[in-house]
Amino acid sequence: MLSEVGTITIGLALAVCLYASLAVFLSIRRSDPRWLQSGWNGIYATTAILGFGLLLLLFAFLTNRFEIQYVAQHSSRALPVYLKVSALWAGQEGSLLLWSFLQILFALLLIARPSVRTRPLLPWATVILGCVAAFFIGVTLFLSNPFARLDHAPFDGQGLNPLLRHPGMIFHPPSLYLGYVGLAVPFALAMAALITGRVDEWTRAARRWTLAAWLFLGLGLFLGARWAYDVLGWGGYWGWDPVENAGLMPWFTATALLHGAVVQEERKGFRTWNLVLVILSFVLVLFGTFTTRSGLIQSVHAFGRSALGYYFLAFIGLVLVGSFALVFRYRSFLRGNSSSEGLLSREGAFLIALVLFVTLTVSVFVGSTLPTITDVLSHRRFEAGPEWFDRVTGPQFGLMVLVLALCPLLGRSAQALRRLRSRGWPALVGGVVVAGSAALAGFTGWTSLVGFALAGMAGGTAVAEIAWDVVGRSRRKEEPFLQALQRQVSRHRRRYGGYLVHFGLVLLVIGIIGTRVHALETEVVLSPGEEAQIGRYTLVFEDLRQEQATDHVRTEARIAAYRDREYLTTLTPRIDAYAQQTVGVPALRPGWREDLYVVLAAYSPTEITLKVFINPLATFLWLGGLILLAGGAVAVWPSAEEVRLPVAEARRRKVRNTVAAVVVLALLIAAGAAMWGPGHGASARLVGRPLPGQPAPDFTLTLLDGGTISLADLEGRVAVLNFWATWCPSCEEELPAIQSIWEEYQGRGVVFLGVALQEDEAIVRGAADQYGLTYLLALDIGEQVSTAYGVTGVPETFVIDPEGNVAFVHIGPVTAEELIEELESLLGQ
Amino acid sequence: MGGKAKLTIAGLLIVAAVAYLIASNTGSTAHYFLTIEELQTMGEEAVGRSLTVSGAVIGDSIVYDPSVPRVTFTIVQVPGDPEEVERAGGLAAVLHAAVNDPSAPRLEVVYNDVKPDLLKDEAQAIVRGKLGEDGRFYADEVLLKCPTRYEEEVPDQAEEP
Repeated sequence: MLSEVGTITIGLALAVCLYASLAVFLSIRRSDPRWLQSGWNGIYATTAILGFGLLLLLFAFLTNRFEIQYVAQHSSRALPVYLKVSALWAGQEGSLLLWSFLQILFALLLIARPSVRTRPLLPWATVILGCVAAFFIGVTLFLSNPFARLDHAPFDGQGLNPLLRHPGMIFHPPSLYLGYVGLAVPFALAMAALITGRVDEWTRAARRWTLAAWLFLGLGLFLGARWAYDVLGWGGYWGWDPVENAGLMPWFTATALLHGAVVQEERKGFRTWNLVLVILSFVLVLFGTFTTRSGLIQSVHAFGRSALGYYFLAFIGLVLVGSFALVFRYRSFLRGNSSSEGLLSREGAFLIALVLFVTLTVSVFVGSTLPTITDVLSHRRFEAGPEWFDRVTGPQFGLMVLVLALCPLLGRSAQALRRLRSRGWPALVGGVVVAGSAALAGFTGWTSLVGFALAGMAGGTAVAEIAWDVVGRSRRKEEPFLQALQRQVSRHRRRYGGYLVHFGLVLLVIGIIGTRVHALETEVVLSPGEEAQIGRYTLVFEDLRQEQATDHVRTEARIAAYRDREYLTTLTPRIDAYAQQTVGVPALRPGWREDLYVVLAAYSPTEITLKVFINPLATFLWLGGLILLAGGAVAVWPSAEEVRLPVAEARRRKVRNTVAAVVVLALLIAAGAAMWGPGHGASARLVGRPLPGQPAPDFTLTLLDGGTISLADLEGRVAVLNFWATWCPSCEEELPAIQSIWEEYQGRGVVFLGVALQEDEAIVRGAADQYGLTYLLALDIGEQVSTAYGVTGVPETFVIDPEGNVAFVHIGPVTAEELIEELESLLGQ
Repeated sequence: MGGKAKLTIAGLLIVAAVAYLIASNTGSTAHYFLTIEELQTMGEEAVGRSLTVSGAVIGDSIVYDPSVPRVTFTIVQVPGDPEEVERAGGLAAVLHAAVNDPSAPRLEVVYNDVKPDLLKDEAQAIVRGKLGEDGRFYADEVLLKCPTRYEEEVPDQAEEP
């Protein structure tokens, strides 16, 4: 029943959507506003119908309707509710339904509140968006129906792929989809502008749409990178995977479009550029969908092979041919003011930036499709790995950052060189400071130093531009600095958003250089209690714990981490074994200088294998990305100047904007908390266990047979400090061994001290009598001493040398052989 | 020379430089993608080049020494062309047939890393690395795909070094 209702819903949506497009088309042909109204009502109706379809699918997930194949494949009874929600778009069918819904929703938003500039473009834009939405709805209905039913409903579903069981999966795909569908809007507006001969108006009308799409696409990519870092456990965040690239390419062209649009709005330049960029952005979105779904390109994100790809290929061809035919047909509109002011002008810098964005896009495209391209050209297949991409794109990024550093300094006039001389110094200072501090911090090597210097130059310029601007205003208007800053930001949101984006980019570049050039990766094999030295870090393997969760077994290693031999934190990388697949969950200790990233690669009863990654400056990467996105958010917010409205309307808008701001902010904070919040397998205790060679922590204990003992009393003698408890089974095993060694060594000036982690004296006495313990015994009241020694479990044993330094540490039971060997080595000195 | 001409030249220079970067890196850092059969026809010529080879894993051949760590295993020829795989009944069928075909070309792979979880019988392995003079393939990277019950392909990156 549910299945039929769902399928009929999608079919209905397709019919209404097609009708809406046709009605709007007829309204243009016959200049009849009634058809237009009817068509727009159709868009509203389609949105409502598809929204209902999504809710229906959600309902099927929440009520475990496994007779629906999609639900059976992506959910199970045990799945937590938030993952059932995200399972909605975990597979191809559901994500296409979501896509269709968002696409038509954006058409609705476009017609719901058009600005004066948008209005004349609306009919044609609606026709185009309606057709795009109809394509997606049609594909969903005929090729990838999420409501398809199974002949025999299984009792339980197959569950969600364990790698997708991550809070990031709630935000990453929808955010990308918002970006993808968003880019269809500027495309539709541009085509409408071309048809109606208003080529200068579309960039302004489309500006916020482009920005919003750019922002969501960027957020999606960024969350995806973080998800990879968090979940995939290869120490990286960007693998130049074809599908990652598919998201990156439209983001590049959209970024270029945002820049080209500035010039078009200011000087009516770059008209053809902008049209080509908007077409490319939309086509690359479709290409991205094609690569994910065609099965032609092997990738992390591939949805498996299906015939879907060919339909997308046909649609891409149609869009390309159609849109370029339009550009050609209306090319006379495009001739305009294209006087440019030469290389060293702001416009020149913009042009170079556009060229670079396009060459970057082409490079990534060539890299992603290299096997196919080389196969066609030479019948040999070459594959581009990360090294290929780094080497090809690296110099282009470098040049881009250089343009970024110089561009704001170049005016529109021919006085560029003089301006450069008078205002160029912050760039120089920034470059020297950043490259210098990087070199001092040990990040040497000329490629990275050049990169750091370029980033510093761009950063210096960005900061100086803001400072000059705000100080200028504060002098002119005699406002305090902060007020001037706030006023400037709210008056010129796009410009200040841009500065912020550029500043974020600078940090991002620093992070990318650090992580890609200076990262360290190594493997260590450790047995319990053993330590490994990796760079400045000492890792001590404490123990391995296993626990049965509802649908998987969790194996967690506890690793005490020390930096420069000082206790830092305790890392718990783990392996979750599901029925069909195991997932390694890395432990991460972020830091400003570097991240310590540890993966439990393998384990056995006697030892574990760890992969240890030291990722320098990774924090700059995440921080830079966040600032970049925040800059986009500042730019997309309506500027104070744009809103000049009646009081009542202004107030209503203010309320609406505030509500929107709160919702967006809440979502961003939720996404941020999910990705960067606590729980990355690192939790620091107050005190760490002393490492061998370090002074033993001081203590004073009341002995069971009266009197006290403190560390000072042990001076000049070898001491064995054994933490134990009467309830601990492995203590039972080692106590007889310790007693026998005590008997053997008591004549040689060795002190044995048993510290019981218990407060009931009678029980401890009972146990001591039972095992016949004759060495010194004390109760650790309030666990003060065990805390000071960083003890995490019983038994643990510390052997202290005559100088009062820890010589040996045993986490877990100690054997008689080990203890004898250690005592002999200390006594023999 | 006018500003516009200078700009055009600068733009063209960038385009030419990028074209050069792409061409030269395709010659040097890109991996030559081969099937085992093609690799063996190349003979000595293949030694020392960056290569990507794919094949089906023979479960019994997997030897793992966790103390190094190092894993060695043998892969068997599977067709490189996705359409050919499709015609032969899909990836799972092709992998199954390959492993049970004693006459198919084989390649021994040495991978100095932790044994990936997905390395098991009839998995598809895509190995990147170089052919040694001893005829064994020294992999820097092993990507694995198993026909799983999940619809999505198993992420490659999980196995990247």
